[in-house]
Amino acid sequence: MATETSERSRSARERFVGAFTSRASRLGITTGPALIWLFLLLLTPLTFMVAVSFTSVDTFTYQIIWEPTVENYNQLFAGEGPFWQTAFFQSLALSYFIAAVTTVLCLVLAFPLAYLLARKGGTTFKVVIFLVLLPFFTMYLVRAYSWFLMFGPSGVINSTLLRLGVVNGPVGLFNYGVPAIIIGLTHAYFPYMLLSLYASLDGLDFSLIEAARDLGASRTAALKDIILPLVLPGIISGSLFVFVPSLGAFITPRFLGQGKVLMIGQLIEERINSLYAIGYGSAASMFIVLSIVVAFAVAFRYVSIEDLGGV
Amino acid sequence: MATETGNETDSGTGTVTERGTGTRLVDHETKERLLSRSFYVVAGALLVFLWIPLAVMIILSFAVNASTFFPFRGFTLAHYGATFADAALMTSLWHSVQVATIAASIATVLGVLSSFALARFSFPFKETYRTFGILPMVIPGVVLGIALLIYFRTLLPQLFGIQIVPGFWTVVLTHSVYGYPFVLLLVTSRLYTFDESLEEAARDLGADPLTVFRDITMPIVAPAIGAGFLFAWIRSFEDFIRAFFVRGTMDVLTTSMFSMIKYGTAPKMNAISSFIVFVIAVVLAVAMNVGNVSGMVAGTEGEEE
Amino acid sequence: MTRNADGSRTETSGNSRRTFLKAGGAAGAASLVGLSGYVGEVTAQNPTLNVLTWEEYGDPELLNPIQETVGVNLKITKSTSSAKMFSSWNAGQYQQYDIAIPNNNYVPKMMNADLLAPVNQDVVTHQSNIYDTFQGFADNQFTSDGQMYGVPIRFGWYGYSYDSREIPEHEPTYEILFNEEFEGVDLSGEIIMYDNHFKAMSGAALHLGMRDAFEGQRVTLSEDQIQEVKQTMIDQKPLLQGYIAADPTYIKSFRQGNFLVGQSGRNEIVEMWDNGDDWPEMAVPQEGALAWFESAVVSKASNNKQKAWEVINEYISPQRGAKLAEVGYSPSVNPATQEHLTEEQNELYGSVDPAKLESFIPFKAVENERSWIEAWEEIKVA
Repeated sequence: MATETSERSRSARERFVGAFTSRASRLGITTGPALIWLFLLLLTPLTFMVAVSFTSVDTFTYQIIWEPTVENYNQLFAGEGPFWQTAFFQSLALSYFIAAVTTVLCLVLAFPLAYLLARKGGTTFKVVIFLVLLPFFTMYLVRAYSWFLMFGPSGVINSTLLRLGVVNGPVGLFNYGVPAIIIGLTHAYFPYMLLSLYASLDGLDFSLIEAARDLGASRTAALKDIILPLVLPGIISGSLFVFVPSLGAFITPRFLGQGKVLMIGQLIEERINSLYAIGYGSAASMFIVLSIVVAFAVAFRYVSIEDLGGV
Repeated sequence: MATETGNETDSGTGTVTERGTGTRLVDHETKERLLSRSFYVVAGALLVFLWIPLAVMIILSFAVNASTFFPFRGFTLAHYGATFADAALMTSLWHSVQVATIAASIATVLGVLSSFALARFSFPFKETYRTFGILPMVIPGVVLGIALLIYFRTLLPQLFGIQIVPGFWTVVLTHSVYGYPFVLLLVTSRLYTFDESLEEAARDLGADPLTVFRDITMPIVAPAIGAGFLFAWIRSFEDFIRAFFVRGTMDVLTTSMFSMIKYGTAPKMNAISSFIVFVIAVVLAVAMNVGNVSGMVAGTEGEEE
Repeated sequence: MTRNADGSRTETSGNSRRTFLKAGGAAGAASLVGLSGYVGEVTAQNPTLNVLTWEEYGDPELLNPIQETVGVNLKITKSTSSAKMFSSWNAGQYQQYDIAIPNNNYVPKMMNADLLAPVNQDVVTHQSNIYDTFQGFADNQFTSDGQMYGVPIRFGWYGYSYDSREIPEHEPTYEILFNEEFEGVDLSGEIIMYDNHFKAMSGAALHLGMRDAFEGQRVTLSEDQIQEVKQTMIDQKPLLQGYIAADPTYIKSFRQGNFLVGQSGRNEIVEMWDNGDDWPEMAVPQEGALAWFESAVVSKASNNKQKAWEVINEYISPQRGAKLAEVGYSPSVNPATQEHLTEEQNELYGSVDPAKLESFIPFKAVENERSWIEAWEEIKVA
């Protein structure tokens, strides 16, 4: 084919191909663009964020005053009482609590479904996976909003219960608040857990379990000794992908908390948007980042980065 | 649905009584069946849990009284009419489509190039490069949003004299970074399972590298690239928190929706949300039949807000 | 991103929108109605002014006559908070806009950040007719080196509203927001506060008799007073149904019977009355009530300052000012607007006794805002 084209274009083509065949230029062309992009739009901003957490901001001009200070970190933990009584600490602790409960809830709920999906094939599988994936692909905001309709003193749940005469007045549990937030987050991040578990169960050889049972292993023993070790990477990566975003959640607590709950993402947002307190916001963000680094460091003891991506 | 779940449990109990007198082996079988049945019950209940709020929202989008079931005042299409006639909302929807398309395109180009580097070459700091590439997906939206807000709004002007007014392009840049890991993960996974001897064979038969790439490599990798683009596109389209910080005064769909919820405009919010659920259902159904999207998705988890 | 780049982007979005909607045929005919309206707006030869303001200013009944009179196209960008208006302008977006209409307490901030052009007094002729009170506020708050930078437009005040079917008529007092029982009615879980540190904490401070702190140029609560406010609000929290951020949400929730009494602005209640709900009552607590007034400013980077001031002059003209009062349920600062409103409308959002205005506490900047926010966070996590 190439011989039929004219000499001129052929040589141009060879030059082009040549550019890709030299090892150095090949590496440069493939790794370079993303490297530059991520350097400019990820590494630099994050590095500066660390730096900014050690500076203060002029309240009039919003310019950064480049004098090192630990004032922002002091502020996070300063108050009349001990440090665990500060708003920041309380908010962080509440966020941990909500994220942890959400993660456990997702894990408990997702396991049976993942197990079934892994054992079934065919049309059932296709339909179920479609029904699971659709909410997963639906906008996060829409899902949070749908729970906003469900909860509340005159929300769908309470008004339906009232109408059916099951209760006499709105039930507090179905009002906005921490339980509503946990349900909202579970709904939002459940598919991540499910898909992680499914990915690890999918490769599981179920005859192993039957063999173990035939050899007299109890159900719990089979679960503990055979299924668990194989599914562990899925559990860990699923938990990470539920825990981490739940920790930094903003929309869900914003709408399902009716202003009475303050998670860490909301606290940071308010400081930034009402005071442009970027120093404080950066310092507080460091704690989220730190939590994530720790979580991943622990996770990497059990799974590799490929498992996280499911590669 | 609650009644249905109840029935399932009842029949389960019935089985136990029937089989209660059987031998140890039968008993074991019963247990097995019970267990499997209860799995079905749990799975069914879960699907109900996943769907009920969305179903309620879709029903309410057609209800005259848009915020709750009672008092019920009949059905109407008026909310949809009002929603599609809302010029500001339609503009923000169009912004979202534009942002998502440009950002996903950038993410796809960068992601595909990096994937080839990771799958084909060895180079120093390869693991760092890979970890670093996954970072945008893992960092919570609040943190990434604020980091880029500070960067665009304060650091670039103050330190480098570069004036970038937050708006359309800052959101595009932010989302291009956010979408990159999704492309990277999907395409590298495809390349890893790729049989390189195919390429070798083609080369042996005299094809030049460009032809090999076009005729052998591309057709195999293309579905993964398509899925990566789709993922990056959806991530951008549905992202609220990152856009919220870097958008300036431009509205994308999610920020418009945020104000709508905040300001209690339930009728339009129900309608636009249901419309999006519908569009996504169609796209997903098509994608699942055309490409192996479920396999792709099961292979990659994402993270948002 | 330059102003030009942004402008051209907006234009393309207008054109290709058609293609997009056609492609997404499911959008249906209804969308095309909205589309043609949208495209129609940007076709004329007149210069386009970009306005960052509240939703009501975009009402076609107000917008269209002003566009015709002044000979401009107005492109309204909705904003939902004065803080956001200020912060986006301060981040450089004053270059994209000609006009913003924040609450009065943000005008001095914009002046300090050097974002504004002085008022062209020759153009804004209606300003001489506004209530003396607002004339005085403008002289005090918006004037620097003999130049004025903001024009008051409309106003309202905050107090609380209650369900008169459940709560009897009473002497207005903040006590009602902080007690489990009031006039024999159980209010536990039936109270709403504003989801805004300034409004909510000011209400608590006035309840605690700290009116003196609201007298000067700024609101000056001492650290001890802030602690007292904080503790009072933490004690109040179990009584609350919740904190509500926005007017329409308040109205919706009030109508659904989710609470009996809530901190609110007068305009929400007027809107409810106007829509046929006669049971909500608005009360102005004797301990003091906060008043806001929106003020229009023009960016120093505007290319059409003359036209911009003409538009602002229309906002307080008797006729358009009356329309603005009508669509936003809030009175205009120009008493001459009353001539263009019916007797009933005047009662709701037209005539206001100037003596009443004297007793209000205008919004003002807060001394030590960080302490307020810290206390607010502690209330929220309590």
